Amino acid sequence: MLFDLMQNTLDGLAAGASYALLAVGFTLIFGVLRRVNLSYGPAIMLGCYAATLVHLHFGAGLLVLAIVCVLATVLAGAFVERLCFAPHRRGSAIAAMVASFALWMQLEEAAILALPKHLYAFPGLYEGAPLEVAGFTVRIEALVMLGAAVLVCVLLWWTLYRTRFGVAARSVIDSPLAAELSGISVGRVSMGVFALASAIGGLAGFLISASVEQVTPMLGMWSTLKGLLAMMLGGLGSLPGAVVGALVLGLVEAHSQWFLGPQLRDFIAFLLLFVLLAIGPRWMTTR
Amino acid sequence: MDDYAVGVLTNIGLFGFLAISAYLLLLAGEMSFGQQAFFGVGAYSGGMLTAMFGWPLPLAAIAAMGLGALAALMVALPTLRLRGLYFAMATLAAAEMARIGFELLHWQVEIEGEKIGPEGTQGFRSIRWVFENGVEPGAYLAIIWLMLAAVVAAILALERARLGATLRGVGEDPELAAALGVDVTRFKLGVAAVAGALAAFGGVLYAHHNTYVEPRNFDIMLGVHSLAYALIGGLGTVFGPLLGVIVDLGLLEGSRFFQGYRMIVFGGLVALLLVFRPRGLLDERMVRWLKQRFS
Repeated sequence: MLFDLMQNTLDGLAAGASYALLAVGFTLIFGVLRRVNLSYGPAIMLGCYAATLVHLHFGAGLLVLAIVCVLATVLAGAFVERLCFAPHRRGSAIAAMVASFALWMQLEEAAILALPKHLYAFPGLYEGAPLEVAGFTVRIEALVMLGAAVLVCVLLWWTLYRTRFGVAARSVIDSPLAAELSGISVGRVSMGVFALASAIGGLAGFLISASVEQVTPMLGMWSTLKGLLAMMLGGLGSLPGAVVGALVLGLVEAHSQWFLGPQLRDFIAFLLLFVLLAIGPRWMTTR
Repeated sequence: MDDYAVGVLTNIGLFGFLAISAYLLLLAGEMSFGQQAFFGVGAYSGGMLTAMFGWPLPLAAIAAMGLGALAALMVALPTLRLRGLYFAMATLAAAEMARIGFELLHWQVEIEGEKIGPEGTQGFRSIRWVFENGVEPGAYLAIIWLMLAAVVAAILALERARLGATLRGVGEDPELAAALGVDVTRFKLGVAAVAGALAAFGGVLYAHHNTYVEPRNFDIMLGVHSLAYALIGGLGTVFGPLLGVIVDLGLLEGSRFFQGYRMIVFGGLVALLLVFRPRGLLDERMVRWLKQRFS
């Protein structure tokens, strides 16, 4: 019993690490634009499909696939930013969100037209057997995912707190108006942050696809839902909060899957969000 | 009319109810990602009442509307204090819980040697009231559109009355509306209940048109579509959401011309449209212009 609990906790942390990468990208975009980008997951899906295409035609190695995945996601992200967020920067948040949903449909259909089968194999990150540590099973993929999440967080912190771009981005997050008045180009900062968030998303997509060794059309909705859930659980708009929310989501899912099965696992995750929003502390819902 | 045209028109009518449901909440200033849940509640409860318990469809539809309103109140009561995105996410969470609830629902009764009822992820088959009672597809289409016309007429009358002004006022400036003596929370609860009942009504008719529903029918895709319908069609009049449905289901799906590229065309069109008309084609200004022009 205790052993299972520990093993589930390990698995949950591994899943949480992948959610953290997704949630951090989501939070960056929300923090700077105050807009929800529903196309975030589909852009990641397009990146992974582009990488799969390159893999199928040229048999390229993992490093090349990772680069293709990140680049394609950034391109898709830039397309979304130009069409859904740049025009609505001063306008309606609802219009921007619905526009990003419209592009979700578009990106998803484009990916499916390129690779119409329901499932494609993706090269695995690691072919050997999982590690055995004191009786627990630890997948190498999980360690890579955790390492990547930590690395991304450190790099992100450095970018936000130690570079000129970071100063500009944080001032836009605090007050777009004040930033604009002090000569910062809000449009360019938004573009930059979008590219950064998309790159993180692309990396997350690559690592997720390479550890489950497949891509399916569900990846887009899955990434958007998990990223949104983790971001909301963490109290919306704070980067450390997003990481905490992602780990909580991973742990809750792993334990409820073990005790209650996969359907109730998802139910519990949504229930947690609903209860937190409905009766949670006020600071969580007033940002 | 050939069968295909009847099918397309029926679908436009069915999803029209859902689009109007999302539209009413948008007018009250709330963006719900969860109207598909009430559509699903209507589909499941209405289907169960006719197929499993032998109720006539009209009675089942009334009961399902009541259930839809009740479910909507249960979601709205704890979440209406939330603003904007938080409300949207809370409704999304509730709707996904409902969808998983449908997946977990296993309840079948034996009727004439056949097991009938929801079978979890396998879906819910044999909702055959319409077929068994000899209602032709054309007649069913007429019933759907008559009902929809009644709803549209009711909302048009409401918009002319004081209630319509209150609705838009609550949506645009809740503080001002409260200062003018409107009990904003109670008003929004009422709107949520009506919107839930409308979605459930659409759901009942949908289940009896398809004779088969499954939990996947009521996922977030449907919810965001209904929001998009209201928003692209326009928030200026109740014809807006209907126009949104017609553009998607009629023009794109119905014409068969964009086969395989429908979402690429639709998605690009919507995103571009929202750049120029962030409150939809039939927004308030357009409606005022049309009224001056034709009155």
